[in-house]
Amino acid sequence: MKTLYVGKSVPRLDGMEKVTGRAVYCVDVELPGMLYAAVLRSPHAHARILGIDTSQAKAAPGVKVVVTGKDVPYTFGEMIKDQPFLAMDRVRYVGEPVAAVAAESELEALEALRKIQVEYEEMPAVFDPREALRDGAPILHPDLAEYVRSSIYDIVPGTNVCMIRRYSLGNVEEGFREADEIFDDEFYIHAVAHTPMETHAAVAQYAPLENAFTVWSSTDGPHRRAKELAGSLGVSLNQVRFISTYSGGGFGGKGSMVAEVLAVALAKFSRGRPVKLVYSREEELTASQTRHAAFLRLKTGMKRDGTFTARQADIIWDKGAYASKGIDVAYRGMLTIVGPYRIPHVDLLSRLAYTNKQCGGAYRGFGTIQVTWACESQMDIIAHKLGIDPLEIRLKNAYVDGDRYINGQVLTTVGLKETLREAGREIGWGKPKPKPDGTKVRGTGIASVIKPTATPTDSYCYIKLSQDGSVVLFSGTPEIGAGQKTVLAQIAADTIGVPLSSIAVPNVDTAVAPFDSGTTSSRATFHMGNAVRLAGEKVRREILTIAAEILNTEPDRLSLSEGIITGDGAGEGKTLVSVLAKKFPRGGTILGEGHYSPEGSPLLAAMPGRERLSSIFWMFATHAIEIEVDTETGIVRVLKVAAAHDVGRAINPVLCEQQIEGSVIMGLSNALFEEFRTAKGRILNATLADYKLATMMDLPEIVPLMIETYHQEGPFGAKGVGEPAAAPTAPAIANAIFDAIGVRIKDLPITPEKILAALHEKR
Amino acid sequence: MKVPIKLLVNGEPHQLEVAPNETLVELLRERLHLTGTKEGCGVGDCGTCIVLLEGIPVNSCLVLAVDANGRHVATIEGLGDERKLHPLQESYLEKGAVQCGFCTPGMIMSGKALLDQNPAAGEDEIRRALSGVLCRCGAYKKIVEAVKAAGEKMQGAR
Repeated sequence: MKTLYVGKSVPRLDGMEKVTGRAVYCVDVELPGMLYAAVLRSPHAHARILGIDTSQAKAAPGVKVVVTGKDVPYTFGEMIKDQPFLAMDRVRYVGEPVAAVAAESELEALEALRKIQVEYEEMPAVFDPREALRDGAPILHPDLAEYVRSSIYDIVPGTNVCMIRRYSLGNVEEGFREADEIFDDEFYIHAVAHTPMETHAAVAQYAPLENAFTVWSSTDGPHRRAKELAGSLGVSLNQVRFISTYSGGGFGGKGSMVAEVLAVALAKFSRGRPVKLVYSREEELTASQTRHAAFLRLKTGMKRDGTFTARQADIIWDKGAYASKGIDVAYRGMLTIVGPYRIPHVDLLSRLAYTNKQCGGAYRGFGTIQVTWACESQMDIIAHKLGIDPLEIRLKNAYVDGDRYINGQVLTTVGLKETLREAGREIGWGKPKPKPDGTKVRGTGIASVIKPTATPTDSYCYIKLSQDGSVVLFSGTPEIGAGQKTVLAQIAADTIGVPLSSIAVPNVDTAVAPFDSGTTSSRATFHMGNAVRLAGEKVRREILTIAAEILNTEPDRLSLSEGIITGDGAGEGKTLVSVLAKKFPRGGTILGEGHYSPEGSPLLAAMPGRERLSSIFWMFATHAIEIEVDTETGIVRVLKVAAAHDVGRAINPVLCEQQIEGSVIMGLSNALFEEFRTAKGRILNATLADYKLATMMDLPEIVPLMIETYHQEGPFGAKGVGEPAAAPTAPAIANAIFDAIGVRIKDLPITPEKILAALHEKR
Repeated sequence: MKVPIKLLVNGEPHQLEVAPNETLVELLRERLHLTGTKEGCGVGDCGTCIVLLEGIPVNSCLVLAVDANGRHVATIEGLGDERKLHPLQESYLEKGAVQCGFCTPGMIMSGKALLDQNPAAGEDEIRRALSGVLCRCGAYKKIVEAVKAAGEKMQGAR
């Protein structure tokens, strides 16, 4: 199909609002009668709450509502309902909400917090997930078995194990017997903060007569949050309404309720007045969510010629105090620790252990960052030991079309080898190394990633065409900053045959927009794009049917492009507007609805009982990185990143580049600069001066390279691109450091201290 | 206790009474409803609240409202609108420098302060001038390109 918009870098639909300062984010929402909230948080990592006295706070100036866990005895959690809105009988991390205040001003709310008295009895706490798994460790959730949970995941009652899964293929012992060399390495990847520039925030309003809640939020999945909140409160979905604002960054961190439940708790008692809660930066860094830290042991059997015989993995994930989406992170992460390679025998074990810390959540990459760190670091170790070039060994084992994933799913549109070759070419792989410049030594490293998308999931939308030819696209996909509105409008414009400028994409309102599983898992373009395509085709067909009646011809003989109808009997080309004016003299609407789910797609076929592990599309990418290490200071500088991605089809190339370039920055920032400093569960560096992010001064040369493989079920061939790019950056940097100075860093972050210590040990 | 102050915001005169501890970002956002300026940390680390005070970029969370008395403040709202965009805003759109957009006002105002002084600023100067604003989307590459392109436009217009 010829496209006018798909494949072009049209400017963002939300661009004008954003460069003029008019875009409304959650922190900008102002409503009449609004109250402002503040939250009292636990100073202890693990303690029993013996009593809370709020009487003085309730009498403080400006205060309208004070709530504690007793007032809102609800729990939430998409996979295990283990998290209270506010702590009830105990606190499980430093920063856990214990009481909340709504007042006429934020200052009065903050002042009132000091008047709340809480009596605690401290309990032993556990901060290391490996210790949390040992007998006799303090148990965070003695009632774990009683919680409502999704039954596909296993817990171990009476322990801190909130998820344990094993996955085997073939016979791993046999695989190790066949191996010429066995590699056994331990890796650690640290927790990092999502650090969206817009902290978590929510505005909630309660309508007592209807027992209904409206929540303004920049969440990445308004329908899923609405479903979860309705479930917690025991109300129907028409009593919970989420209204999306623009989002000042999410990266997975806005994939669970954080500020929302606290604003709702206060709004329930505020006599209809809306309540706004904006997290401070300190709260964002200490009491929202993190990327899960993980300890990974990886045992791999290899033939001397560089082929795999077996892989065994044992992963322990640091859950923090509550499950959030960690269960799925730990499960899906485990499944990609095989990397994008053919391995005949595998045995994978994943355990997620509660600890007395801020909880981990979804983080761009959803488990693949953690496992790719181990998989791709070890791949480099293997290559060097076997004397095979790191690029060659990857090419030798790389998945190609027709290969089977570990559940037997046949892989299609696998652009992995092209990403390896393109990234290698761009970085000048194999070129002679430049001479060290004093103490500065250069090196080059490479790493790849395989990433599935959550499957199956659903996207619904509808398209409304009014009599004047203008179009509104109602989808449940929020604009989290990745260009969702623009991409969906491009697909709609080409499918219907109308100008892009005639399409409006409002922010999501769950009272109006139909269900969508959210912008997680790089799924939005593929899933919602397909729903939009289906809805757009219905609208187009109806337009052509109407036009055919008017023009006294058959719909099949007409076509529509840019709002002009051409074909037999259309004469010089009638406009869509004139056809609609004739059909709807008093006004009228054409509605087209679309639903896409990959459920039942033949592409998902796999070994019996293992179909749930299939992904409707697989993303592949390779980053080749050149770095410079200063052997005197230990400082690593990233010079160039060649980032090649199999995107299926770039619906909007500039938006794809943004995702790739942005996650390269995020990946290098995570790997080199970011680290929580803690003492007894308390985060000591809760400011952006002390929790370091990459700045513009750290920007390397980034060359995004897009490989188009045209997925057969993707809208116009598209897959996804937002998530995988964060994963290969860290191992490619570590591999480049090895290339430069011969030291192997196995635990993140890669700090100058670790480099110097490793150099010292080597000497 | 409130203190009377007068200031010009985007060329418009305002007369207000402010608390001694009120910050400029609070005044702009809460009193004047100019919410284009964002507050990302409140302690001067992130740069999303940068506005121009007498043409100089400042973290408006670190400036007390009383200290803006008698001075000119420029915010993103005064820069341009869809009828007439500033070259920086135009280049931002053309080069794809916007992602989530939350740091965009601070970045653009920092860029304006630089280009007003030196529209021929090179990449190193641009990076230094904008390094006080954090962007977690990591849009740095295209932001540098946009500022460079805007500088070229401004030079051409001279």
